[in-house]
Amino acid sequence: MSTYVPLFLLFIVAAVLAGALFTISTVLGPKNPTPEKMIPYECGSETTGGRFVKPSVKFYLTAILFVVFDIEAVLIYPWTVEFKNLGWIGLATMGSFILMLVVALLYVWKKGALEWEK
Amino acid sequence: MEALKAQFPATNFTLLAVVLALPLIGAFVNGVFGKRLGKAGVRLMALSALGGSFIAALATFLLLPKGEGGGTLAWTAWRWFSLNGRMGQTIPIDVAFSVDAMSATMMLVVTGVGFLIHLYSSEYMIKDPGYHRFFAYLNLFCFAMLTLVMADNMAVLFVGWEGVGLCSYLLIGFWFGEEKNATAGKKAFIVNRIGDFGLLVAMAILLYYTGSLRFAEINANARNLLDPVTIWPFGNLPIESQWDAANPSANALYKAIVHLFLPEKGIQVYASTLVGLAMFLGAAGKSAQIPLYVWLPDAMAGPTPVSALIHAATMVTAGVYLVARTSAVFLMSPAAMATVAVLGCATAIFAASIGLFQHDLKKVLAYSTVSQLGFMFIGVGVGAFAAGFFHVFTHAFFKACLFLGAGSVIHAMHARIHDTDKSQDIRNMGGLKKYMPITRWTFLLSCFAIAGAPPLAGFWSKDEILWRAFSTKIVAPEVGRLEPLWTWPSWLGQTIYWVGVVAATMTAFYMFRAYFLTFHGEFRGWKVVAGWKEPKHAHGHDDHGHDDHHDHHDDGTPLEGPKPHESPLAMTLPLMVLAAFAVFAGFLMAEPIHFEPLGHILAPVFTRAHDAVVLRGEGVEKLMWPMMGPGVAAFLAGTGAAMVVYLNKGGAPEEAFKKAAPGLYKLIYDKWRIDELYDAVVVGMVDALADIFTTADKWLIDGVLAKLTAAIVAFFGTVLRTFQTGRVQVYGAAMAIGLAGVGFFLVRPHADATVDDSKLRSAGEVVISAAPGPGYEYRWEGTGTEQKDFGPLREVRINVNPGETKDVKLHVRNAFAQEATHSFAITRPGRGFPSSAAPVPVVPGGVVPAGGGSIPAKDIPGLINPRGAQ
Amino acid sequence: MNSGLFLGLSPLLVVSLGGLLLMVAEAFSKRRVDETSDDRDAGPSSELSLGTAVTLLAGAVFAAAIWFVGPEKLEGASSVAPWVIVDRFTLFFSFVLCLGGALAALLAGGYLPEHRLDRGEFYPLIIFSTVGAMILASAGDLLSLFLGLETMSLGVYAMVGFRRASLRSTEAAVKYFLLGSFAAALLLYGGALLYGATGHTDLAGIREAIANMQPGKGSNFALVITAAVLIIVGLAFKVSAVPFHMWTPDAYEGAPTPTTTYMAVAVKCAAFATMLRVLIGAFGEGGLESWAAGWPPVVALLAVLTMTVANLVAGQQESVKRMLAYSSIAHAGYVLVGVVATMRAGGDAQGSVMFYLLTYTVSTVGAFGALILMGSRGAEAVSYEDLAGVGKRHPAAGFAFSLFLLSLAGVPPTAGFFGKLYIVKASIGAGLYPLAIILLLNSVISAYYYLRVMVYMYMREPAPGAPIAKPMRSGYVATALVVAGVLVLVLGLWPTTSLQIAVEAALATR
Repeated sequence: MSTYVPLFLLFIVAAVLAGALFTISTVLGPKNPTPEKMIPYECGSETTGGRFVKPSVKFYLTAILFVVFDIEAVLIYPWTVEFKNLGWIGLATMGSFILMLVVALLYVWKKGALEWEK
Repeated sequence: MEALKAQFPATNFTLLAVVLALPLIGAFVNGVFGKRLGKAGVRLMALSALGGSFIAALATFLLLPKGEGGGTLAWTAWRWFSLNGRMGQTIPIDVAFSVDAMSATMMLVVTGVGFLIHLYSSEYMIKDPGYHRFFAYLNLFCFAMLTLVMADNMAVLFVGWEGVGLCSYLLIGFWFGEEKNATAGKKAFIVNRIGDFGLLVAMAILLYYTGSLRFAEINANARNLLDPVTIWPFGNLPIESQWDAANPSANALYKAIVHLFLPEKGIQVYASTLVGLAMFLGAAGKSAQIPLYVWLPDAMAGPTPVSALIHAATMVTAGVYLVARTSAVFLMSPAAMATVAVLGCATAIFAASIGLFQHDLKKVLAYSTVSQLGFMFIGVGVGAFAAGFFHVFTHAFFKACLFLGAGSVIHAMHARIHDTDKSQDIRNMGGLKKYMPITRWTFLLSCFAIAGAPPLAGFWSKDEILWRAFSTKIVAPEVGRLEPLWTWPSWLGQTIYWVGVVAATMTAFYMFRAYFLTFHGEFRGWKVVAGWKEPKHAHGHDDHGHDDHHDHHDDGTPLEGPKPHESPLAMTLPLMVLAAFAVFAGFLMAEPIHFEPLGHILAPVFTRAHDAVVLRGEGVEKLMWPMMGPGVAAFLAGTGAAMVVYLNKGGAPEEAFKKAAPGLYKLIYDKWRIDELYDAVVVGMVDALADIFTTADKWLIDGVLAKLTAAIVAFFGTVLRTFQTGRVQVYGAAMAIGLAGVGFFLVRPHADATVDDSKLRSAGEVVISAAPGPGYEYRWEGTGTEQKDFGPLREVRINVNPGETKDVKLHVRNAFAQEATHSFAITRPGRGFPSSAAPVPVVPGGVVPAGGGSIPAKDIPGLINPRGAQ
Repeated sequence: MNSGLFLGLSPLLVVSLGGLLLMVAEAFSKRRVDETSDDRDAGPSSELSLGTAVTLLAGAVFAAAIWFVGPEKLEGASSVAPWVIVDRFTLFFSFVLCLGGALAALLAGGYLPEHRLDRGEFYPLIIFSTVGAMILASAGDLLSLFLGLETMSLGVYAMVGFRRASLRSTEAAVKYFLLGSFAAALLLYGGALLYGATGHTDLAGIREAIANMQPGKGSNFALVITAAVLIIVGLAFKVSAVPFHMWTPDAYEGAPTPTTTYMAVAVKCAAFATMLRVLIGAFGEGGLESWAAGWPPVVALLAVLTMTVANLVAGQQESVKRMLAYSSIAHAGYVLVGVVATMRAGGDAQGSVMFYLLTYTVSTVGAFGALILMGSRGAEAVSYEDLAGVGKRHPAAGFAFSLFLLSLAGVPPTAGFFGKLYIVKASIGAGLYPLAIILLLNSVISAYYYLRVMVYMYMREPAPGAPIAKPMRSGYVATALVVAGVLVLVLGLWPTTSLQIAVEAALATR
């Protein structure tokens, strides 16, 4: 347990420090608000719309597909390092894994998930 | 005869298949093709199925091996399934049937009375659009009832048991168009399920102790049931006086409460008593005994032939049959026998009292049935199995005859009144003897029979039951070195006898009340017809315009609609046959005049009763003839009173009583309000519980809990609010509480222990073993070798000197450094204690079961070794 | 690499490959549903439903085949242990899961086109969920266990929300997903703590490490107990034991009925399989199995709560579908009684639990299937009122529904009777008399609401003006009902063989 004590101390110090800095600047800083100052800064041009914009749902689909193939790459890296030791079994396993992903890609393609405009 | 015997060997008696198959085929054909067959075809099919079955049953009865040892005829259809017994043996359960004298007699009753009632119904139901459906159900019922009485084991019996229940449910609700009938059917079904629960429990215990479900083997191994079972407290709750030691400062009230739930010694009963009571619960459900009788009177909503067959002659006697069938089990427990007898007796008088003032003819008969069933249970309860069964037999005839007679009357009334309730009301009848002579005479004979007029059937059977109750007692079975847990008090039988006599008086009274009101006096049915007006003035002061009208009435001629008329031959023939049996069947077992052919046939079935049922005292047997006196007096008093009240005085005393004590009259008429009580207590309780849970779901969890947890959840609130849909955070809160509960239980230490003091008396040695737990350490105090720190020692052995008390303390510490303590006070009785030949165990741990002692004590679960399979 | 390994894994492989093929076939198929069309056979369901059922049944057949060959004879099959254990226990559950999945797929084949939900994704989801369930049942290691759990659950989450246009369906899916993630997190955390305490992720290793662990203050037992709490709760969520059941009625009611069926049978069976493996396999020693202080009293209490609360609330429901949801919770309670009994009565009790799950699977599929059959486009049968008089207008459908309800209520000679009988017997054999009595009392209560359906079907007429339910016509649903009905009767008339198989399967884990 004692090994974790410095960690907890660090947490507490960080929290106290951050809280203190915010509080001090809020308390000590001069407050002089004008309407101009309250407007969000947007490169000097006039602001338009709200500050939160919903991303399109299609974005999520693409992002999820990206994650899938990202993980594929993560799995292939260690395999290449150990390629010689794993031998043919390793090759066959990785082959079937990639085949499965190809099937998935085909499915996604055919279902039209890759087309942005439809 | 010999040729038949060669054809059907006793061990593979395939004729039983014929008996069973015919009604089943009838049910199938009528159910599936009935609409196309037409009414004549359906009638032919149903009657020939039952008739054939009756002939086969008769052949079976004749082929039954008779003589000293009795005998059975058996037929095994197929192996159904098998179970493992507690000794690891395989217990096969077959679809098997075996018939002894009792089964064969029941078969004759079911098929014989069943045939007559089928014949009767073929006319009675002729106008019903559901004709084929009715006969399909009725045939199916006969099949199920035959399965029940012919079953070789309890599993097959249970199938029949459920089957008759189902058919009864279908037939009570036959006219399901009316809400009332459907409700009555449902009530019967649900009450019977309560009984079935008892039967299932009984089966499970029997299977465990006797290792079989076959009646023959259950009866043979019944001694295994003499095994004490601790029924309270359950499980491994502390059973010594640990509470005192743990709480020296406990005050008296506190102690009393604690001792109520944790008595010093566990309350023990024999397994046989448990089985007996559970089985009686089943029997009480099916046979409408206190406390489960409420469904039978409502069951009269079904067509009258159904009431005659199912709710009077056959199905309702299944409970009596079951008790008689497992007589050896009941004989192992005088307490269970006494329960059966006492509840039977209570039912007999209670139902009879309700029957006194009912207006509905069928209700009178229904309560009479409940009352008579009570008599049957008195019979089997006092060990007079043959007598109880004999009453089943005679009752089947006269009660079927009474119901069919009532049906005939209702048939005639209905033709006039066209209202089910009004046509069954005896206040609307009267004077029917003029119109329906056959119905009247058969009804009268059956009334004499049920009222116990010598020498009709009911006299012999009822007298036999009461005489046995008066003269015998049940001796507790030999239980080896254990004390019998309960003995049969000597006053019990006599009390039952006198209560029975009072009930018999009431029986005679209400039966003849029904008879006189129905068949004597003036016909009161004219008034009920539409168009009838009460005359405003006496005759002669009327204006002339109405003269014709009134003249007609005064002549006894109906205003409109037909006169009541006698029923056709198909309905009166069964009445006459049944009435003949009601008169003469009693001579099959008339003990006082030493003429009992049926008794001789039945005797081998109940041989086990010889040892357990003995005469109450010296010289009692000489009282047989004198004790018949009160029975005859009961008949005379009841009948005479009914005659005076209803024939001579036209029912005026009843009116007077109604006026004098309106509350009591209403209470009796409302069946002592037991239905309302059940509604309030049982149904209300279940409803209330369900309401509480739904309310908790809705208000408590939604309202209070959500608000309480709101503070805790506030931190997660910002995260969860994004997904806020409905009440999902409440669900999460419930899970969190559950998690906390599970955590609380497992993180807390539990200092439980079992004490094995089987050697306490003999050697003064006691072994205390602490229950294991994850990461537990133990420290013992007061064991002799003092322990300073916690250690892995889980079991200690201590020696106690005679007359000494030792206080032992167990401390337990778990991985979270939490501690718990448990104290024991172990006392060894002093030397002055009267020691019997063998040491008497203090807790069930030391008991070696009777019945061969083949069961190692440690295998009795729950009592000794709560650690189980480790 | 050898043939033994492939044969041993063949049920999994067959189902996975079949799923992949069907998925691609569906993507390339020209069959698309025209939302306005009335032709119920034009959509992908007409092909995929049968294909899915055949694939899953092939998995069941392979499992049965390996059973007869004998899994212990397959050399090399043990090389994937403990991640995937090929033993009789696995094979039994593979069979039950594939059977349940196949019947649910057949029900979907009728339901989806009828209610304009005919999109092909449903079938690959059902197959891959079943793959996950099979992995879950065969996992002897916390890692593969979690993998299987998530594979199964993700598919089911999507299937619950399959009726995208319906708010209820989406709400049900979100609720189930949220609480399911919560439970999965608890399970995962428990697994991590167990690994920390014992240094093992395989169940056998964990058990051994716990058995050899030094007791006392500050020992690793503190971690083990915490882990046990978390894992028990995680599993209790999956089997929907009270008080972790609250998602169940909402999710079951909001989901399309074939999904409900699938969740009630396959998901629940797989959860019980893994519960048996974990509680007996990992927590079977070291005081965790103690009757005073281990998991048995906890599970016993959950069982009592589950049975009682579920039965009492089920009687109050007005929707038959929701009633069946509560009924499935109640059945989970009965099974939990059997699970408690396993610690004392051993293989027989575990066999009775597994037999119960088999009987429960066929009865529940049948009951939900009959409910599906009672509805048609625009008039899905949901409430009791919807069923008024159906039994008289459509005797065959009414009879089927009654049969399955009687089996659920435990009336002989149906499968459900023997399922309950064996559980009661096991609990009496284990000396758990109070549990057995509570179980029997509860089954009496349950008869009330099962019977109520029959009362409505046979003894009520629809209120004047109320919509009259018209059963749908679908060969798939009819086939599923016939198969389930035959199984209910066969298991009720000849229960011995299947019980012996279940006991034999149970002994494989001991």
